[in-house]
Amino acid sequence: MGRLRKDQFHLLLIKTHSLTGLIPVGAFLVFHLAANSLRTVGVWQYKLSIDLINNLPFLIWIEIIFIYIPILFHSLVGVYLSFQGKLNVHRYNYGRNWMYTLQRLSGGVIFAFLVYHMGTTVVPKLLAGKEQFEAAPFLISVMNQEFQTLGGRVIYMVGIMAATFHFANGLWGFCMSWGILVGAAAQRNASLIFILFGLVLTVIGFATVVEFSMNPIEVQATVPESF
Amino acid sequence: MEDKTVIIKIRQQDDPDSASYWQSFQVPCRHHENVISCLQEIQRNPVTLDGQAVIPVTWDCNCLEEVCGSCTMLINGRVRQACTALVEHLEHPVVLEPMSKFPVIRDLQVDRTRMFENLKKVHAWIDIDGTHDIGEGPVMSDSIRAQRYALSECMSCGCCLEACPQFTRDNTFLGAATFSQVRLFNLHPTGALAKEERLEAVMGEGGITDCGNAQVCVEVCPKNIPLTESIAEIGRQTSLKMIRDLFQK
Repeated sequence: MGRLRKDQFHLLLIKTHSLTGLIPVGAFLVFHLAANSLRTVGVWQYKLSIDLINNLPFLIWIEIIFIYIPILFHSLVGVYLSFQGKLNVHRYNYGRNWMYTLQRLSGGVIFAFLVYHMGTTVVPKLLAGKEQFEAAPFLISVMNQEFQTLGGRVIYMVGIMAATFHFANGLWGFCMSWGILVGAAAQRNASLIFILFGLVLTVIGFATVVEFSMNPIEVQATVPESF
Repeated sequence: MEDKTVIIKIRQQDDPDSASYWQSFQVPCRHHENVISCLQEIQRNPVTLDGQAVIPVTWDCNCLEEVCGSCTMLINGRVRQACTALVEHLEHPVVLEPMSKFPVIRDLQVDRTRMFENLKKVHAWIDIDGTHDIGEGPVMSDSIRAQRYALSECMSCGCCLEACPQFTRDNTFLGAATFSQVRLFNLHPTGALAKEERLEAVMGEGGITDCGNAQVCVEVCPKNIPLTESIAEIGRQTSLKMIRDLFQK
């Protein structure tokens, strides 16, 4: 019976890892890249999205439950999983084996990037005094600073690329492990579609980086005087 | 043609616990010679390249026509059967090593008990009459028969496991060959009677969820078995069972 419970736990752990990669972590990635790409549309549109998100009720709890915990869970199980296998792409040099290898490597890159990204954005936001805190001017000035140097831009581009690759390839892996794709042709076609999807996400992310780097902006707080 | 020779470099090991070492041999290479006949040549004249008389190299082989799988080894770093590895088509010198994912018995012989144990774990057989007659089996459609035929060609050689990055000596991963046999027996109308039991056996540690979809298995399978389709199909069957069980159990 003890053995059975251990197996059930394992199954649940891996299946949840697979599911969290799609929802909410992958869904958040898409939303995050899309919302930030409003920066390329216009200043007020971008500011509006920041104001909207940062004035959501229970924001910190939404972030903890739907973003931080799932990402941490997905990362920890991912580390455990990557220690289960042993890379052999140097010996068996096939496209899919490269994807398998890159999926693990990109996971590590994303984790390092997230530590940096949260350290430069979320941590200062949490440390800022609640009284003086106005989301849009504060966060936009943080991002201006991030993209001031070439190094900062490269870090973001690498982070975005790792994340979009990991998500696009992970979507394919999700479809495999849940048995959504079965036939060899279906597997191949879907992987092409997911590559396209990943490229689109990468372009969206890069466009935002370029816009921030070439055109830094300053905005005022949105609170009208009459309130 | 007749006086051509080939150098065979072999990773040898005297017993399961001792360290491995390399020895090279020079053997005459005839037209259409395979690795097995080179090994037989070494057996006849076990003298290394530097002229030292040694104990002949041991290896496993049986059918010599790629249907038994016993002569599977690493040839120039790649897992395949020695019987269908024609020396003329190989890069020289030819480097032979035992499979790395199974315990070595001696030289090129390995112990693939794990594969057999895995087949036992997943009920990879069809139950027939016991103390009572369970009756005639249902009719099988020809398309199912054709699918099953491809899967039934598995000879448990272990190429898919050797090349799999997820299958290691330290874990309990069942591997592509085992999942494909689950599919084979679940496809059989009478075999399907034990379908749930088979699925449960692959829904734990080392089971279907531990596949990383590197898909090297299907690239190296000498019988061209659609292993990745089997893995995906078992992924589907187990996912559906998991969801069903969540609401029914």
